[in-house]
Amino acid sequence: MVKGYFYLPNSSRVQEAYARLGDEHIAVYAEDECVFESTLTAVNVAAHLPGQASELTFADGARFVPHDVAYRWPFQQRKSALLARLESNLALILCALVATPILLYALLFKLVPGIAVTAVQTMPDAVVEQMGQQSMVLIERTVLSPSELSAQEQHAVFTLWHDTVAQLGLPAERYRIDVYRSDHFGANAFALPHGQVVVTDELARRLADHPDALRAILLHEIGHVERMHSVRLASQAAVASIAIAMLVGDMDIVAEVVLGSGSALLDLQFSQNMEWEADNYALMQLERLGCSGEDFAQALESLVPLDEEQSQSWLKYLSTHPSLQERIEHARNHTTP
Amino acid sequence: MDSTSTPSAAEPGSQITPSQLQFTGNAKEYFGIWIVNILLTLLTLGIYSAWATVRTKQYFYGHTVLDGHRFDYLATPIQILKGRLLAVGLFVIYSVVSGYLPLVGALLALALALLVPWMINQGLKFSMRMTRYRNIRFAFKGNYGEAMVNFVVLPFFSIFTLYLLLPWVLKRIDAYIHSNIRYGDKPVRVQLEGKAYYKAALLVVLLGILVMMILGVVLSLVAGVSMNPGDIGSSQVVLVLIVPAYLFVISALQGIYQAQIRNHILNNAQIEDVAEFKSNLVPQRYALILATNAAAIVLTAGLAFPWAKVRKVKALAAATQVVLLPGADLVLDDAQQADSSFAEEAANVFDVDISLT
Repeated sequence: MVKGYFYLPNSSRVQEAYARLGDEHIAVYAEDECVFESTLTAVNVAAHLPGQASELTFADGARFVPHDVAYRWPFQQRKSALLARLESNLALILCALVATPILLYALLFKLVPGIAVTAVQTMPDAVVEQMGQQSMVLIERTVLSPSELSAQEQHAVFTLWHDTVAQLGLPAERYRIDVYRSDHFGANAFALPHGQVVVTDELARRLADHPDALRAILLHEIGHVERMHSVRLASQAAVASIAIAMLVGDMDIVAEVVLGSGSALLDLQFSQNMEWEADNYALMQLERLGCSGEDFAQALESLVPLDEEQSQSWLKYLSTHPSLQERIEHARNHTTP
Repeated sequence: MDSTSTPSAAEPGSQITPSQLQFTGNAKEYFGIWIVNILLTLLTLGIYSAWATVRTKQYFYGHTVLDGHRFDYLATPIQILKGRLLAVGLFVIYSVVSGYLPLVGALLALALALLVPWMINQGLKFSMRMTRYRNIRFAFKGNYGEAMVNFVVLPFFSIFTLYLLLPWVLKRIDAYIHSNIRYGDKPVRVQLEGKAYYKAALLVVLLGILVMMILGVVLSLVAGVSMNPGDIGSSQVVLVLIVPAYLFVISALQGIYQAQIRNHILNNAQIEDVAEFKSNLVPQRYALILATNAAAIVLTAGLAFPWAKVRKVKALAAATQVVLLPGADLVLDDAQQADSSFAEEAANVFDVDISLT
């Protein structure tokens, strides 16, 4: 005999009752009167949850809930009890504690980049073209304004660019350079996926007397385009956000913070690796153009004073870039196999 | 609609002792559920998250006990999974498009904004219908137009009033949500006042400014001592200090605001003939709970989450009393009978949890 509450179907009425369990059927009594009878096969037993009595739901929607929260019906399916046993198994909980960070790492740092790289390889050129053009429209509207350099200063940049592109044998119709004034970017250069490179007035001015340094930067940007870094970053972001959307279902804010910072970290690491790739590309091409890693190192060194003066506006750039000093050393030690 | 649901003779505030809302769960039990949920979710690449949601909600609803009866969460994992796949599908399209085609993405974002009121309504409908107390389900009867006005149009316009209108907008949102809730065949009534929202918002803004000023002074002192120009490392040290401090302060301010608003809503809400509510959550106490919860979660790299959540829910339950009116025994669940079979069919097709969270 099990004491509990009997809930009437579709009503807020409740009766104190007790259930009597037979071999094949169950009966519910309230005030010594049988109010319900059913065969056991027509009874639905709720899933096991720690600290909650297992309730019975009958075919018409009536329910019986035992008072004893630890009570479990002898005829309950094994299946519903399995999860409850897993959740209170200390060994499994310890395993889960160890496995969770490992799985998160594998997912965010192995699987997601893997899928992103595959996505990049199958990306049609038309999409890359659109991606570059549409990004440029947005950037141009928001943070760029027309260049204030003199025609002569601009000409110097263009000439350097055309020479470099021609010497490397890259398609001239794909690679173009533009000069813009930008308060947002400061002294900076960036590449868009479809082969457009933007140099800011400030950078062009600062490096007017160091054409080799500017060329090193341009080669670095060409490296980003050639290795499709923007496309990879976009795929990366899209795949990561999809993965996070799938996972965050019920993990609340903590998981969001952990996953969010994980993917931010991933982005950072990803873009740091990309900078190295772009540097290596620049070094390789310099070699082909008859220059050495030393030239690149010197070019980078000419950026150092700029770095110190302008640490404010360079901070953004540096957070995604390896430190200048490391890059200079890397360039010095670079030997093409 | 039924002869038994005659208007009750009870008057508001009659001599019935209020029942205390109780939360009977504990952090140890929930920790097991939580960690197994995370493990299985990761192993199944997110598919299990639907089962995890149901299990967590069943745990929390089932341990919320009023007058000896527990609440029930009724959704099945498949409903959640369907809704989540739909939402993730939309999200995939959006994130792929905005990643590769930013201009088209911006247009798509605009189109999605039109979907927002529908999704909010659908989410509220679902979560209400899946909540049951004593064999009676809750329901939500909102409409698209009002949701559009309250969730999209008014918040957008409040930007142009330097957010001065925002507390009033938040009041409208809460009023919209709560006055459209029904318990079986009984509607919920709320009388909310803008004054309470302005009071809470003003307090939080003033406290926020004060704390930010103090933190600013402290941090600049710390940074001034350890800052070594050109060394990025030291700015990261400051960042490591700022983020937890920020989380701590934000949680505390949230606690102060939420406690006042919750008290205001519950103390001015009733389910016709069925129940009146009393909430006496002390703002500074709740602020302390939320802030220390945030600190504990950060310091334990997330492991304290189950403890923090149980602690918060316990505090909320402990501050809540419900006066059950004599009509409480006479509520009928009209959802099953009143809906036409077509409506029921349609409800089944769209009976999915749309919200992503």
